Amino acid sequence: MSIVAHLEQASLRPEQELAALVAQASGDGAVVSFVGLARAESKSGGPVERLILEHHSILTQQSLNEIAVAAGERFDVSHVRVVHRCGEIAPGEPIVFAGAAARHRRAAFDAADYLMDRLKTEAVFWKREVGEAGSAWIEPTAADHADRERWS
Amino acid sequence: MKVLFYGRLAEAIAPELEVDARPGCSVAELRTMLAAEHPEAGPVLRSKRVRTCVGHAFVPDDYRLATADTVEFLSPVSGG
Repeated sequence: MSIVAHLEQASLRPEQELAALVAQASGDGAVVSFVGLARAESKSGGPVERLILEHHSILTQQSLNEIAVAAGERFDVSHVRVVHRCGEIAPGEPIVFAGAAARHRRAAFDAADYLMDRLKTEAVFWKREVGEAGSAWIEPTAADHADRERWS
Repeated sequence: MKVLFYGRLAEAIAPELEVDARPGCSVAELRTMLAAEHPEAGPVLRSKRVRTCVGHAFVPDDYRLATADTVEFLSPVSGG
């Protein structure tokens, strides 16, 4: 079992993360990955100039570690890889890579799904969209919390 | 007692405050006191989604605080 949980300050390259996960997965039968991108349009429909992800100097990394380790323990996977951006992110740029490798596909799908549901509601970030009308805090929705509860 | 705020609470109140709280007061009492002093942030401060840390560990609302503690209030978090 290997776990990667990395807080990325500068740039996230999903293709490199996927290649690393596939390279680790020799002997496994499945790799599943998810890439989250910064949206170009806010919930109110206006254009987003940039997304700002504030983080905590200690608790953010702790939360990434805890979520990645929990996925590794819960599912029959051989590798878990989470890389999360912080700082300023332009529309279209990747925010998060979450992936898992396993002997069989179902465990890899479930682990990636679980990782994202927990990251959306528990990873220690404070997210702000900045646009023409100023900035707005983005917090988990009721649907995000319901998704998280599926795993309780 | 030093109190740190993050996210929308830092914007509404301040990133950091020095608070004259009674030694042994609970996190819940500190929330009530801060909400009275900063009514614009009251609804967020009282929210169960706002978690509290002491020494970088999450603590419940009945946790008793010491004067030397640094208390951190985390506005609702969201990754992904």
